[in-house]
Amino acid sequence: MPEIVLKGITKRFGRFVAVDHISMSIADGDFVTLLGPSGCGKTTILRMIAGLESPTEGEILIDGNTVFCSERGIDVAPEKRGIGFLFQNYALWPHMTVEKNIAFGLENLKWDKPRIHARVAELLAKLKISQFGQRYPSELSGGQQQRVAIARTLATEPKILFMDEPLSNLDAKLRTEMRTELKRLHNESRSTFVYVTHDQLEAMTLSTRACLMKEGLLQQYAPPLQIYHSPANVFVADFVGSPTMNFIEGKIVAINSSEVRVSTTGLDFIFTAVGTALALSIGQKVVLGVRPEYLKIGAGGQVQARVYSTQPSGMETVVKLQLKDHLLTSVAFGAIDFAIDTDIEFDFIEDRCILFDGETMVNLEHGRLRVDYR
Amino acid sequence: MRLRNRVASFLRKPYNVILITLAVSLFFLTLLPLASLVRDTFVVHPSEIMSVKGSQAGDLTLFHWIKVFLSGATSQNMLYRPLWNTLVTALGSCFIAIAMGGILAWLVTRSDLRWKGFISVVFIFPYILPSWTLAMAWLNFFRNPLVGGAPGLFTALTGIETADWFAYGMLPIIVVQGLHYAPFAYILIGGILRNMDANLEEAATLLQTSRFKILTRITLPIVMPAVLSTFLLVFSSCLSSFAVPAFLGTPVRFQVLTTQLYRTLNGINPGYGYIIAFLMILIGAVILAANQLYIGKRKSFTTVTGKSSNVALVKLRALRTPLSTIVVVSLAAIAILPLITFAVESFILAPGDYSLQNFTTIFWVGEGHVEVGGGEPGILLNQYVWLGLWNSVRLSLVVALIAGTVGGLAGYAIVKGRGTKLASFVNNLAFFPYLMPSMAFGAIYLSMFAKPNLFIPSLYGTFALLVLVGTVKYLPFASRAGTNAMLQLSGEIEEAGIMLGIPWCKRMTYIIFPIQRSSFLSGYMLPFISCMRELALFVILIVPANRVLTTMLFQYNEKGWTQYANAINLLIVLIVLIFNYAINKATGASIDKGIGG
Repeated sequence: MPEIVLKGITKRFGRFVAVDHISMSIADGDFVTLLGPSGCGKTTILRMIAGLESPTEGEILIDGNTVFCSERGIDVAPEKRGIGFLFQNYALWPHMTVEKNIAFGLENLKWDKPRIHARVAELLAKLKISQFGQRYPSELSGGQQQRVAIARTLATEPKILFMDEPLSNLDAKLRTEMRTELKRLHNESRSTFVYVTHDQLEAMTLSTRACLMKEGLLQQYAPPLQIYHSPANVFVADFVGSPTMNFIEGKIVAINSSEVRVSTTGLDFIFTAVGTALALSIGQKVVLGVRPEYLKIGAGGQVQARVYSTQPSGMETVVKLQLKDHLLTSVAFGAIDFAIDTDIEFDFIEDRCILFDGETMVNLEHGRLRVDYR
Repeated sequence: MRLRNRVASFLRKPYNVILITLAVSLFFLTLLPLASLVRDTFVVHPSEIMSVKGSQAGDLTLFHWIKVFLSGATSQNMLYRPLWNTLVTALGSCFIAIAMGGILAWLVTRSDLRWKGFISVVFIFPYILPSWTLAMAWLNFFRNPLVGGAPGLFTALTGIETADWFAYGMLPIIVVQGLHYAPFAYILIGGILRNMDANLEEAATLLQTSRFKILTRITLPIVMPAVLSTFLLVFSSCLSSFAVPAFLGTPVRFQVLTTQLYRTLNGINPGYGYIIAFLMILIGAVILAANQLYIGKRKSFTTVTGKSSNVALVKLRALRTPLSTIVVVSLAAIAILPLITFAVESFILAPGDYSLQNFTTIFWVGEGHVEVGGGEPGILLNQYVWLGLWNSVRLSLVVALIAGTVGGLAGYAIVKGRGTKLASFVNNLAFFPYLMPSMAFGAIYLSMFAKPNLFIPSLYGTFALLVLVGTVKYLPFASRAGTNAMLQLSGEIEEAGIMLGIPWCKRMTYIIFPIQRSSFLSGYMLPFISCMRELALFVILIVPANRVLTTMLFQYNEKGWTQYANAINLLIVLIVLIFNYAINKATGASIDKGIGG
């Protein structure tokens, strides 16, 4: 079964380190997303596994076979790695019709004509583009081109399918539609999908595991919800989730078993850790992180704040709150139009607040938060 | 084991194989000949044993360098005066080319001039035609009898005898070269004007700026980089121009570097010639380096937004019709009239007599007469002309085929291997011949291949040598075309094929080439047309057996058989125009592409 293993993969372009000692394994049937801001090395990883680029160091195994090894000088040609690749700009051949685009790879495999014809028809039907078979790519919309590209990639039935930001050129509505299709496709084909994106929402909604990267370094490799709730560090916490997490910088001034007092500009917070064994010390710089959905606005709340701005979008409303010197984001379900500059009350709910180290930015503990009005 | 694996995976990529092959072969075909040329400036040549006292052929000597640079009147005649003449004519030609091309480009893109379509097409003519076409036309018109021979059309029609300074030498060379390169300036500057974001000018209009101020304060500064780069390119082309000064300067012994190079290489002191060639290469390299530096340093202002189509055109008002008429008439005079004079000249028996009874067809279909042109038959019956034509076409075809293919592959490999040292090395090597003035390039091949060298036998006098020199000289055109084609093609297009396991040959022939067909084809066409009308490159390498049309034209002209020369010229012009038209129709590629009506 095709399992992909990376061991200490490094890629340097001159002095620039694009990918820095990445080790990870992708299990058979996984839908893994490589997530990160542009220039973080995610596309480079994908291209290295596919064989379109050679790593500077490290080893890559697919299905137990070494396809690349810098030590032994092994570098298996891309076409022998059994991978399908869906390109960001589709890379459809503009001088061939849709049918020809799909059939070309099969002709190359010396399939006989009727079989090619049947396979092309099957794929066109599956991707709902049967009526466009005789058209040229330039005569199709972006979404239709995308479907042709998928059909072409699937034609040879690769067990592993790589996708490099396949939805980034589509408008928002089509993106949602194609996301649904891709998820179904993954289910039906039972292939391993590796998917590159800078859109955290795509990673969250599509993948079984997400690999978050920054400047060539792996930040966290875990199922998306785990990344969402237990981000490994401030970067991950900030990158995943929309609206983004609230961060409050401060300093520990007192520790009382699991209760930690954090002093920030203007006011103190009490953080109650879920765990007990705390390797915290007084004077330590920390960052408190709370996701907007854990700021619950409601009369009788413990915390008083002022409405800075409000952005109702129908299903939910994003409210910016001014709490002393801090500007916090809260999300409320439903359309509630708060008047700007009015005073309201809210609570920090659940024990989902995260305490990050102020120096290393790593996740230390999670727990409950409240404002200390003492 | 590890090394073997590495080498294997390196060579598995076709572009690496291409790059290595090119690096090695271009090293042998460009750098080595250059070294051989330099060496030849330091050795005593067999014909020089008498002038270098007590020496033997092959001895090292500084004789040539001293003679060329440090020997009073000799150096003055040998080098300094031709150098001065070269620089003055080049500067003058640049001025005319840029002034004419620039003004016309502005008129066509920014004013409501009439008949723009006609103007755009006809104005390109002088550039498509061989450079000496206008020189010959000038002679046909303004020849005077002072240097011997019959007077030209102008004298025949008006009875006024033209002065020497007007008929030959510096002035006509400047005018003719200026006119020849004006279309080049027109294409470059017009291209910038056309692509310039109209908003830049419109923003100024909204601020109530006058038309004149917009032109001087906004438009001119923006086209300035194009003007400068046009200047450098025209300047270096003029430096290496041979045919025009040979036609117009020789009658009054007006020498420039190229004609001097021709004289010395054909004389008894080839060492002088090699020094002049080396000097020309140096000047060419400095100019191109200056151009690169300038372009590299300065950010281009040009922004292509694709919205610049609806510029408000300047109204020429009362001037519109008169100005348009003047432009059209003068264009007809420089682009079409010359062709008519070739036809006329080729049909008159005694030069200078344009009366009807003097017209004859013997220079085209005559059997040959002892009293006329040394008894040569008319060119359509002349087996040597047919041989020359066949050689020209054969040479151009072979050169175009090889240069176009190699250049296309070079472009592919250079773009694929981008960023590696090997790729930039090959890129520079492939561009290197462009730096070399044609005749100097011919000279270095003469120096390298006139005698057996390393494992290569003497190629002097062979067709293969002409093919070789032509291919390498025109490789820059083809490799540029190939590089551009590949740069415009997203890498994913080929990678999509790689992932589907399509082999390299099939990817090239079924995917890459068809998509960028017109770019790649222009890489075949430019060498073909350039080769068809090339004189300076071949003139010192040619032997009677492999004469091509252009060198025959040159020889007939030297002998003063103007009728034959005109007839052959007409033949060359026709072939060039027909091919340009045919290829343009067939593929959409064209050497004058870039600016429309």
